[in-house]
Amino acid sequence: MEQRSDIDLVEAVCQGQRSAYAVLVRRYYSQVFLVCLGVVGNVHDAEDVAQDTMVKGLERIRQLRDPDQFGHWIVKIARNLSINCLRRRAAAERLVGQRRDEPLAESTAADDLHRAVARLPRDLRLPLVMYYFDGRSVKSVAQTLDISTSGVYLKLRMALRELHDILTAQGETP
Amino acid sequence: MNQACTNMQNAIADHVLGVLSEEQTQALRSHLAGCAGCAEYLRQLEDHSKALIACGARVEADMAARCEKAIEALGDVAPVRVPRIVPLLGRLVRTAVAAVLILGAGIVIGRFTTPRAVDAEQLRADVQASVLASLKPAVLESVLAQVDQRLEASHTQMVTDITEQTHRDLRVFANELLSGTQTLVDRRFTEVVQLIEAGRLTDRRQVAKALDQIKTQTGIGLLRLAAWTEETPQALQN
Repeated sequence: MEQRSDIDLVEAVCQGQRSAYAVLVRRYYSQVFLVCLGVVGNVHDAEDVAQDTMVKGLERIRQLRDPDQFGHWIVKIARNLSINCLRRRAAAERLVGQRRDEPLAESTAADDLHRAVARLPRDLRLPLVMYYFDGRSVKSVAQTLDISTSGVYLKLRMALRELHDILTAQGETP
Repeated sequence: MNQACTNMQNAIADHVLGVLSEEQTQALRSHLAGCAGCAEYLRQLEDHSKALIACGARVEADMAARCEKAIEALGDVAPVRVPRIVPLLGRLVRTAVAAVLILGAGIVIGRFTTPRAVDAEQLRADVQASVLASLKPAVLESVLAQVDQRLEASHTQMVTDITEQTHRDLRVFANELLSGTQTLVDRRFTEVVQLIEAGRLTDRRQVAKALDQIKTQTGIGLLRLAAWTEETPQALQN
């Protein structure tokens, strides 16, 4: 089952084999989750959005015209849902008047890093997360994001410098 | 704390990402050897990079559990059955859209490539303007020539008329002048004659009067002489 192609698995799901979709979820969940994390910026929201993505994917799988493109298709759903999540969060923050990533208690270095990543611009955060968290190659990131490899390098370089600036500013903040 | 050189920060980030060539890496190392700020910047970026990888590893460690949780969350979700009418409609819509696009493109191409219908008013206006433009100088020249001819003819006629009229007027004026002058001269001559006659008459009267007076005086003298002669002795008279 684990060795079957995306085409076979998608056709099997369409014919009612739910176990085939579980294989697809295990195959693409990490990618979907990291895309969600790259867009929304925090693990908690990314888990929710990734879960929603898999549910939507199953519901709409019969609309997938080219089963071989399941990976791209599900990642696209993940990005769209993540952007929707960001919009909802921005609206809620405007309503409440504070950011959720503000430190509420004494934080660790890992928390600082998570917070700094969350504060990166979305177009820089996504390639950074996919490159570092998923350990993917620049070429793979470029294919997933539909941009050139040089574009990915450029964004990674900017993201690193921006991250350094944010962490430095956080360190200087009393 | 030393600041990293602004122009080296990109190169340092690229070095951390591992995209510098051997030559670029050597150049960067040479710079780092003498620049504490850049060396510190490199160290910090490498720390961030390692921290990101470690963070990714922690995220990855929980990935399997999250994945299973997501599979569980699928519950009894099932693929939504796509009604057969939808693809059929979709195909119809696509065909219709394609037909509309092709027709639209045909219309647009036709509009740009076919010759335009003749606009009678425009054509008339163009022809009128063209004829006017071509005939106007000739007509103008002809009219000017005719005007010149007529002006010349009328000028000659007018000069002749004026000359004749002047002659006539001068003749009448001369006649009137002459006749007036003759009358005046006659009148003056008559007056002079009358004056002369009056003078002669006056002179005759005065002469007559003088003669009368002379006559009278002479008679008296003679009488006195006679009287004187009679009284004077003879001797004295001899």
